[in-house]
Amino acid sequence: MTVFLKLVTQMIVIVVVAAGIGLVLNRRMLVEAWTGTVNQSPTGELPNAHRLPLPLGIMQVKELFDRGEGYVIDARDAATFAGGHIRGARSLPLAEVEKQLPEFLKQFPKTMPLVIYCNGYGCHDSMELGKKLIRAGYWEIFIFEGGYPQWREEGYPVEGTKP
Amino acid sequence: MTKTVRSCLAITLRMILGGLFIYAGALKIADPVVFAGNVAAYAILPTFGNYLVAATLPWVELICGVLLLTGYRLRAGATLIILMNLVFTVALASAIIRGLEIDCGCFRQAGPKTTPMSALLRDLGLMAGTLLLLWLDGWRSGRDNVS
Repeated sequence: MTVFLKLVTQMIVIVVVAAGIGLVLNRRMLVEAWTGTVNQSPTGELPNAHRLPLPLGIMQVKELFDRGEGYVIDARDAATFAGGHIRGARSLPLAEVEKQLPEFLKQFPKTMPLVIYCNGYGCHDSMELGKKLIRAGYWEIFIFEGGYPQWREEGYPVEGTKP
Repeated sequence: MTKTVRSCLAITLRMILGGLFIYAGALKIADPVVFAGNVAAYAILPTFGNYLVAATLPWVELICGVLLLTGYRLRAGATLIILMNLVFTVALASAIIRGLEIDCGCFRQAGPKTTPMSALLRDLGLMAGTLLLLWLDGWRSGRDNVS
């Protein structure tokens, strides 16, 4: 019993010391969380961590495209992008997001609406990329689930296609 | 099992488990806000609770890892690791039951996801490893970390 009590005491001491260090070092974050101002944290991470990208239909995407609002992001790999994409789209392949994100963050403010697409309804890269960008702090992430195939079939503006 | 084999096995386990917990703790300490986001995704705690866990839990992991690595207060550190893994396992199981598609937030804070199921299996493995370590430690003679 004495051995057990000693073990429990040691465990309590470890937890108290560890938690104490954590509380002291993270006091600012905790105060901000308590007062509800944490969403001004530079990473902008937590408040939208729960949010999911919002799917948009082709009409809504075309409307945004025509109004020049937001930016269209292509989640497919670079070679597929080079073979044809929505006009004015920016390539950000899902597989390269970690590598390209710093540059991307400099180029696009986190408040800018971004419409992400890939190869249509069977392709989940746009949704995955959308989640990553939300985690990176972007607020307005939309997914165009019809993707490039639907856009092209409607005869909407594309570029990079081979003649 | 000879004494040398037991001792070698115990040292190997201590290095692996200690190293893993130091790594896991250090990654979360480096970015507590992201870790708070990962905890929030489990939808178990109130908002402030997520931050409280993010501020303190990584330090418990780190210190337990150091204790395992050094062998100082080994049983206390190992028992805490088992208790933490129990909590993680319950949280992951609840995420699986509720069908939450989340990143476990165990090691990497970004990048490829670890599914709750693979994280749960890993936790069970870590728990088994720590239990084995405690058992091996119990066999040792002439040294009692508790006293």
